[in-house]
Amino acid sequence: MKQILLITDGCSNVGLSPVVAAAQALSDGITVNVVGVLDGGDLGEYGAKEIQEIAHAGGGMSRMANTRQLSQTVQMMTRKTVVQTIQQVVQKELKSVLGGEGAIEELPPEKRSEVVRVMDELGETSKLRVALLIDASASMKPKMAAVEEAIRDLMLSLQSRQGISELSVFHFPGNGHGDDASLDLDWTTNLSGVQSLFPKLQMRGTTPTGPALLQVIEHYRGRDDRRRGGEEDGMMSGYVV
Amino acid sequence: MVITGKWRKRRYRVERMLGEGANGKVYLVERDRRLLALKVGSDTVDLQSEINVLQALEGRAGSRAEPFLHDVDDLKLAGGKEYPFYVMKYVRGTKLPAFLAARGPEWFPIAGYNLLQRLAELHESGWAFGDLKMDNILAAEYGHVELVDYGGVTAFGKSIRQFTEIYDRGYWNAGTRASDAAYDLFSFGVLCVQLFQEKALYRHTAGTLPQNRSPQELLKLASESPELRPFAGWLERAFAGGFRNAEEAGAAWSVVMRRIGTGGGPRKRAGAVPGWTKALFLLSSGALAAVLYWLLLGQG
Repeated sequence: MKQILLITDGCSNVGLSPVVAAAQALSDGITVNVVGVLDGGDLGEYGAKEIQEIAHAGGGMSRMANTRQLSQTVQMMTRKTVVQTIQQVVQKELKSVLGGEGAIEELPPEKRSEVVRVMDELGETSKLRVALLIDASASMKPKMAAVEEAIRDLMLSLQSRQGISELSVFHFPGNGHGDDASLDLDWTTNLSGVQSLFPKLQMRGTTPTGPALLQVIEHYRGRDDRRRGGEEDGMMSGYVV
Repeated sequence: MVITGKWRKRRYRVERMLGEGANGKVYLVERDRRLLALKVGSDTVDLQSEINVLQALEGRAGSRAEPFLHDVDDLKLAGGKEYPFYVMKYVRGTKLPAFLAARGPEWFPIAGYNLLQRLAELHESGWAFGDLKMDNILAAEYGHVELVDYGGVTAFGKSIRQFTEIYDRGYWNAGTRASDAAYDLFSFGVLCVQLFQEKALYRHTAGTLPQNRSPQELLKLASESPELRPFAGWLERAFAGGFRNAEEAGAAWSVVMRRIGTGGGPRKRAGAVPGWTKALFLLSSGALAAVLYWLLLGQG
């Protein structure tokens, strides 16, 4: 299971539309979730609409949260997305076996019980990867401590799963001139040795959300290329019969 | 309003809403002159997974004398939208702070002990309650305690399904979010602190950097409460994950209860004229209850 979690507080203003980029992620099997962090201010009508559309195109969900609720929101969205991803796989299977819409709701309560038991098991044991993409434009500066806390809290939740969970962190715009995004932390299962996630962060004005998303998708692809032939997500389709 | 199940056709008359949990709303309903609690879920998968836990608990012989889960079905609203629901035993009671405010803090030790017993029943079957918090505990006459809302119940070894930050071991930098007996006992400890130091606890969580949150801070708050002082050693052990399960934690708790019950003279009780006789009676009955529970537990 692959997820991208975008944390932002404003509207994109450079390059490819992030909605298009999110659609590309989804076709690669990556779900895109978006959190809009507000503290006092608001995203504006345009910003609020954009995060909704990014999530919609990316098959995920969007939420607004202030910095105090950030950890909880991030944790909840990641968990819910795992459940939904599995639900979609199960739905496909049910549809091919039983016809109809394949919705769990169509089953009588006694039958649901077994299906949901298998879903819970998959949610707990499947391999999960979450790439965090953090907006580091100037207005995010006072929120970065809360973002870092939320990332550490998410790692703690993921480590408590029975399945392998990996996390990676990007921020955008990137450090170098013209870089859309920079990798702060490559795939890892543990953050305890990491002192600070964003040392010496240069906050800049532009918000290239779309190009940054593409770069994260590329990172996923690179990883998949290296691992071609491995089990990866193959286990999920093999598991649900 | 009357609800009729889509599959099993049982009818329930809705009296009023009882509360709201993470997975749905709970209503007081009546069927055949019997009061029951009906939980309507917003998400079929989430609710079913809660039902699965209840069914698994029900399956364990002797875990409960009377059935807890009564019915599982769907309801259809006039607009055509369908919602899953289940019907369970109606648990009467008030939340612990209201209970202690009405009966007095001397009921805290026995209520706490009874709560540990409810947890012990779960732990014995290999489950943690998970989302142990004030809202999910109902206290009644004589410190009788019941757990409500099983949405967070998680088999040992898996990741806790639902939790609330201030009761969470991870939030206090004191361990993982994987389900084990110690996870519940940690939450129980926070709950004790919250009962007697609520304002200080909230002040502390609002004003502390995340990396500085620690069980030591909780213990410091506990040491400032006369009701919690006798339990300081117990709390320290609970926060350190030092109990194997709630049964062991309950045994240690009852040792403290007996010490409180037998040590010292009569305690003052505000407002009551024959205060000391009443207090003495309550104390000794508390001690008696503790001994009885201890005996029953020992033989059970």
